[in-house]
Parts: sequence; structure tokens; C-alpha cells
Amino acid sequence: MPSYELAMVLRQMSRPELVSVLKRTAESILDKGCIIRNLENLGTRALPHKISEHGVVHREGSYFTITFDSAPTKISDFMEEFGRDIDIVRRRIFKIEEPEEFQCTLHEEMLPPAYRKDVQEMIDIAKRKQKPKFKYNSGLDYYPFQK
Amino acid sequence: MLRTTTGVLSRLTINETKTTGSAFALEFVRWRRKPRWLPVAKSKLFRVPERKQQNADEKAELMRLHNNYKLQMRSLRQYLREEVLRLNVTTTADHIVLTPEQEEAEFQRCMQENEAWNQKIAVERNERLQRELEEKAVEIRQRLEAARIREEERLERADEVVRREIELSKSFITRDKLDTAIEQALANPVDYNFSLDLKGNIYRGRNTVPGGKGTPTLGGANEIEVQQTLKASN
Repeated sequence: MPSYELAMVLRQMSRPELVSVLKRTAESILDKGCIIRNLENLGTRALPHKISEHGVVHREGSYFTITFDSAPTKISDFMEEFGRDIDIVRRRIFKIEEPEEFQCTLHEEMLPPAYRKDVQEMIDIAKRKQKPKFKYNSGLDYYPFQK
Repeated sequence: MLRTTTGVLSRLTINETKTTGSAFALEFVRWRRKPRWLPVAKSKLFRVPERKQQNADEKAELMRLHNNYKLQMRSLRQYLREEVLRLNVTTTADHIVLTPEQEEAEFQRCMQENEAWNQKIAVERNERLQRELEEKAVEIRQRLEAARIREEERLERADEVVRREIELSKSFITRDKLDTAIEQALANPVDYNFSLDLKGNIYRGRNTVPGGKGTPTLGGANEIEVQQTLKASN
């Protein structure tokens, strides 16, 4: 099963209500036969803008993430179910992917253009694309006759 | 088009006398004839052109010359053909004439030489095929070995994943642990925000102030200003 992350913003609530909403959400995930890996609280603070959801205007919210493993077919069900929950202001499910491995090449990128490997390759390509020019083999670096 | 063309033609004939004195009255005629796709004119449809009469003496003279020419050419061609046939039969310029015994001997010699060549090439070919066979066998063995190693690595990676997941499964949130996990999460908010300064120092936390908790040690007021601007931009 692929891993997903449910990021959601809950409306401003008292602590017991918050606990019940989180419990409801987590149990609905568990009921579908999924595995919850982690549950994180990202804090309570003012929303970036006022949000009108389920007929109520919200200005503050609590941010939570739930990491879980689930079948891909159930994701749309979750979205639909959490969309009906009036305590959830915003919800979105992301797929968790393995972070790509990379190496820092900043030192090479900061070199002057003539020393950069990709620029040198481009110059080589341009040289290869140039048409061969006819040589007169006259030993002179100019054309001796009138053109 | 025909109408304009004929107009031009008729004007040309009229103007020929006219233009001799004047340099202004130049006319250019592009089409001297009607186009090919137009049919015969109605007025010329049933016209039969008159046959020209030839002079009888001249006709007889032309006929005589024609007959002479044909006769001479025919005899010349016959002579040349007979000469080629005769040469083919008598001369041996382009091929060597052999007796049947000699021919047989020559054929045998050629056959023997051919056999020798064939044997030599067969030896070389067998050597090459043997060598190629051995190379192929080595390559197949190498590929089998590589496949075995690949498979082992794949299994090892899979085992690694399984081990890691089993290890992680201890921290999975089950129904029993759900209440404590929620309490834990509410008690410990996580903050992934951070900011950087020009030296690459990382300031973790959304509201970390310079010099506060979790700030790297710094020297100089200048860098503190930089941090403050960074904070302000965040």
C-alpha cells in the first residue's frame, strides 16, 4: 500500500472537541483497513485569509497531518467523507514519495561559463554542427583573387 | 481570352504600318496563336486543305536517289554480317581451343584447387565457430551470474524494506494507542519552519528570534541585522 499524508485544518475548537474530531477522523481511516503511521500537530494560529466553509467564516485554525498507508482507490472516498465533516475547514491528501538523492554541485555551477562542463559540451555540439568550409590550400590566409 | 487575342492580332497587323514612325506605339503580343485546348474554329471545320502538286521530274529523281541509297546500305550491312560470321568460325583470337582430354584435365585441376580452397576455409571457419561458441558460453555464464547477483540484491533490498517496516510498525498508531497518540500530538506541536542566513546557519522554528532558543551562536551586530531582515521577510 502506498503511503499518503492527510493535511487538514480544523476549525477553532476547545480541546475535548478537538480530540473527538481527531479521533473520528483517525477511526474512519482505520475502519477502511488502513494503517496510521503518524499523527502530528502543527499548531493553532490565524489562517492566511478568512475562509468560508460549511456556511461559517473561519479566521483561526488548527493544523494537523495524519500519515497513513491506504489503497489508492480509497483516497477519493476519504476526500468525500472529510469534505462532509463540518469541523474540517481544509483537507488535502498527498502521496508520499521517496526523496530523490542528489549531490550538491554548487561549486561547479558557480564557475565562470568557460569552465563549466555543460557549457563546454554545448560548444562542442555547436562546433560539430558547423558546415565544413572549403580550403584553397594556397598557403595564404586570404583569397588572392577578386571575388 | 480568344477574343482578346484575336483583337491583339488584328491590331498588330493594323499597327505594323503605323508604328514605323512613332516610338510610342509599341505593342507586346504574348499569345500568337489560340490555346491548344480550343477546338477547330466553326468556319474552318469542314475545310479540306488543297494538296500541293509536285513536279513529276523532280519526283522521279528523288525516287531514284532514295532507291540507290537503300540498296547500297542493304548490301553493306549484309557484307558486314557475313564477315562477322566468318571470323567467328575461323579465328581463335579471343579463346583457346582445347581438345576434350585437355579440357577434362583442366577441369580436374580446377576442381582440385577448389577443393583445397574449400578445405582451408572450412578449417578456418570451424576454428572461428568454435571460438565464437566458447565466447558465447562465457557470456551466457556471465549473464547468468549477473542475473543471480541482481536477484540476490533485489531480495536483500526487499528484506531490508520488510525489516524497516517491521521496526516502524511498533510506532504505528492502532486503535488502542489512538487516545494517547492524540494527547501526545496535542501536547507537542511540531514546527518544520526554518530560516537561513547568508552563512548557511539554520534557525529552526516559525517564531525563533535571533539570539533566542535554538539559535546558533553569532558574533557581530551586522549578522544579527541580517537575521532580523530574514525574519521580517518570513
